[in-house]
Amino acid sequence: MEIAKKRVSAVLTAPAPHMVGDGFRVHNFFPNGNRIKMSPFFLLDHNAKISFSARNEPRGMGVHPHRGFETVTIAYHGAIAHHDSAGNSGVIYPGDVQWMTAGAGILHKEYHEDAYSKKGGDFQMVQLWVNLPAKDKMSNPKYQGIRRQEIAQYALPDDSGTVDVIAGSYKDTNGSASTFTPINVFNVRLKKGRKASISLPENYNTGFLVIEGSIEINGVETARSNEFVHFENQGTEIEIEGLENSVILILSGEPIDEPIAQYGPFLMNTEQEIQQAISDYNRGKFGFLE
Amino acid sequence: MLAQFKAYLQSKVALTDEQFALISDKLKIKKFEKNELILMKGEVSTHGYFVLTGLLRSYSIDSKGKTHIIQFAPSQWWLSDRNGMLFNEASEFFIDAIEPTEAILISKDYFNEAAKIVPCMHDLNHTMLNNSIRFMQKRINMLLSATAEERYLNFIKLYPNLTLRVPQWMIASYLGITPESLSRVRKDLAHKHFRT
Repeated sequence: MEIAKKRVSAVLTAPAPHMVGDGFRVHNFFPNGNRIKMSPFFLLDHNAKISFSARNEPRGMGVHPHRGFETVTIAYHGAIAHHDSAGNSGVIYPGDVQWMTAGAGILHKEYHEDAYSKKGGDFQMVQLWVNLPAKDKMSNPKYQGIRRQEIAQYALPDDSGTVDVIAGSYKDTNGSASTFTPINVFNVRLKKGRKASISLPENYNTGFLVIEGSIEINGVETARSNEFVHFENQGTEIEIEGLENSVILILSGEPIDEPIAQYGPFLMNTEQEIQQAISDYNRGKFGFLE
Repeated sequence: MLAQFKAYLQSKVALTDEQFALISDKLKIKKFEKNELILMKGEVSTHGYFVLTGLLRSYSIDSKGKTHIIQFAPSQWWLSDRNGMLFNEASEFFIDAIEPTEAILISKDYFNEAAKIVPCMHDLNHTMLNNSIRFMQKRINMLLSATAEERYLNFIKLYPNLTLRVPQWMIASYLGITPESLSRVRKDLAHKHFRT
């Protein structure tokens, strides 16, 4: 019996960009840019590759709170420094991933890393908001700062490229990040003219963001850099071919089938929980960060 | 968008849909871009605003160039310069949009004209005016006598989500304290309340 292909439901071009603070010029593919089923992924912002001029005072996004979900920051070019109210800080360099569980609440700020800011140059990153199930929304905040060299890597056959398994698993290579619900996040680097096959559960919501280059999907669709390929919830097998040397961010996860209430940086299940989050933030229950 | 204004009025007074249609057919909605200056000091304002979406503020700038925020007007708030609107005098304040905003333009005669059709609009205007005076009295007392923390705690009750929408310096400016004082207040609250 032939294994069912997971078919493309849409190839989405990038919505108009907007600034997050003064340091991130992002295309929001969802939830504002497109209404698509991507739970447990709630938000995808892509700062497509652009060049920032050199500046002594780093650009960025000042102190802000989060509650009820995880932020996942993946750097491709440039470097991002971050600080939080729990005393954590670090720098995310190209290929690194910062998987932050905001959980019950955290304050943080994100800026261009000092040396990068002073030099300027190419900048490209992705930020995802990964929802948490109700039972984990108020869990303790934590960080998983994962360096590129620590990310489990699968070498595609015939020197076709590599799959960085950030979370989940690809052909028995298990991802580096721990997640609350079943999630696959891969960075695939595929050479021109080479192919890779990806098998993902039928019910998982699935999408690919082309970071660089261009690809053919299932031999029928093509997608270029800064386009998002959304898949149907049927079939399991996807084949991609590099039309150029390409980098593709693969997102696939088991949907969290719970009500959603969102306001600004809070992602909860009910309006009452949102009001509580605002009140807690105002009253200092998220801690303090200068 | 007028449906929101109708719902607002109907939450305050007994107003039928037919009556609302009669008092709303000439209303104009205006869109303002983020940072758009709506009223300049010295201009004579002819309209007040009922904010549907977004956020407006009124403010003055002192002789040293420092900004003092008089009022924020998020959704369902009124904002006007009464000097111009009611007394035909030049405004002492500026009004601008902090966020992209949609607001209904309310002319000086709006409530009088509306009251000719729906008498209860007169009572509503009267109540709102008294509320506004009460609000200003409380604000004066706060600015004269309250500690920075009391001012901040009052602010978050009045405008719960503005802490997520405007920069700290604007909140400090509204509270009549320095940004450093506001930061200290928030730090003290965090020390008192932060989950350990």
